[in-house]
Amino acid sequence: MNEGLTKFAASTSYYFRNYYRSRSFYLMLTMSLLVSALMMYFTLRYVNSLTGFLPNLNLASISLSTKESIFGFLWSYVLIYLPVFSSVFFGSSAISSEIENRTAFHIFPLPISRSSLLISKYLAAVMVTVLVCMIYVLMQAATFLYVFHIPLISGFFYSAALLIIFIFSMTAFTFMLSSIFNKNTYAYISVFLIYFLTFTAYQFIAELLYKTTPFYLLDNAAGIIEKVYVNISLSPFNFNFSLNPVGFGEITQSVLVMAIYAIVSISVSLIIFERKEVK
Amino acid sequence: MNLNNITKKFGNVTALDAVSFSIDGPGCVGILGPNGAGKTTMLKILTNIVKPTIGVATLDGISVSEYPEKALARAGALVEQPEFYPYLTAREILSFVIKIKMVKDEKGEIKRLSELTSIEEYLDRKAGEFSRGMKQRLGLAVALVGDPDILILDEPTFGLDPSGMKRIRDIIKEINARRNKIIILSTHLIYEAQEVCDRIIIVNKGKIGYDLNNDSAGHLKIELEFPGSNLDFPKEMASQWKSEGNIIYVQKANGTRNSEIIEYCRKNGLEVKWVTPYNDIEGIYVSMTK
Repeated sequence: MNEGLTKFAASTSYYFRNYYRSRSFYLMLTMSLLVSALMMYFTLRYVNSLTGFLPNLNLASISLSTKESIFGFLWSYVLIYLPVFSSVFFGSSAISSEIENRTAFHIFPLPISRSSLLISKYLAAVMVTVLVCMIYVLMQAATFLYVFHIPLISGFFYSAALLIIFIFSMTAFTFMLSSIFNKNTYAYISVFLIYFLTFTAYQFIAELLYKTTPFYLLDNAAGIIEKVYVNISLSPFNFNFSLNPVGFGEITQSVLVMAIYAIVSISVSLIIFERKEVK
Repeated sequence: MNLNNITKKFGNVTALDAVSFSIDGPGCVGILGPNGAGKTTMLKILTNIVKPTIGVATLDGISVSEYPEKALARAGALVEQPEFYPYLTAREILSFVIKIKMVKDEKGEIKRLSELTSIEEYLDRKAGEFSRGMKQRLGLAVALVGDPDILILDEPTFGLDPSGMKRIRDIIKEINARRNKIIILSTHLIYEAQEVCDRIIIVNKGKIGYDLNNDSAGHLKIELEFPGSNLDFPKEMASQWKSEGNIIYVQKANGTRNSEIIEYCRKNGLEVKWVTPYNDIEGIYVSMTK
């Protein structure tokens, strides 16, 4: 292995270990287990009474795989929040903590480029988030196999693959915000404010006033993780209900949006981190 | 090591103002100055923690801000009071730095460094559980990974108890005694600089106020491994001398270098442990920083 790769591998494993031993990781792991246990209960409880929450559905006319798609949508609807909260824990403080917690004094004088350090930390954060989410995804797979007695539908695999792309982009987005601040608290709050307040407010305004869905917002693009099962939009101003999954065009569009968020965010983080100083 | 016309501004505050100095050969150079004088900023520039507003800092002829990876390849640094990732053990932290510095014998290096800095018992404890003093010792061990040619130490004894301070000073003196490294030691303790350093630079208000080579010191205190020396010095080397146990006090003749006296002692069969030059550093410091 060449010198650069050896250093990169060493720092990725170093950051990964520091992440998976952290309290945040165990908290997220507990949350993942707890939420998947709740979803498991929900699936077992409602598998034969979908009309309890989808009153217009003609249960007799739908196949087992459609039923699985509906439950897949519901599992994914909850799943989307796991990478968001994991990224807040692992990504929001990724760069600001180097300054606030003074670890920069330990790593900056080392003969390794800052870009290597940042990318290895980013990969480590992505890996722990994938680990947290995979617990949930595996519980979902086990539940579906047990309940529906059919092989997992293709939507499940699409959804899992799209989830990983979303984890890359969400983590990059939090890294970018973290690179702007030298205090962890500001970085945490900014992620919450932008993702949950600004994006939501912007979407409401766009849908209400301009009758358009802002596909370019990260939270909207992430919706594809649910829509590869069934195409349901729960927006109060743009309600949509179809038992078919979205088409290839919409999947491509969402993947592109998430990829652009990841590339732009990590590039901005690299530029800022390269110039970062510790006073 | 070279600082060439370095100016560093943080907003409207000038932390360093056109500072230049160089270190050409092995030895320990002390950077003395009051708090806020610019000592730490100088070392942060040398270690790529901050970048100069104007000027160039080089290590081994390579610009630190332009090519930090290459410039810092043969350097080790302990800057301010470093913190480490809290969930990693001291062994893992050392192992990481060993890999980054491409040192081959990982186990041997961890053993050497942990013995040198007395952290053997704590190797498998997480850094988050370390006391201030332990972190400082771990920081020194990290700085010494790969036996670097240039050692940059910023107040390495800060926050330590007296025995911890002595231990760190002894380690630095041991390293300096081998005369194969450049050691840059920032401190605000005059006696520490006098005891450990060959050259002292006093920094005040972002400028170098005094650059004193200890060769200009009038007196030397030579500590020997064994007592009982009856050595006489040539008159062109020393005007007066006195032996007390394992200590020889020497008043140097004009123009004599410290290294000549040490060499003379060694040639005459004396095992020199430490040499402490005496100047009126305290007087100079007080007048410079008033």
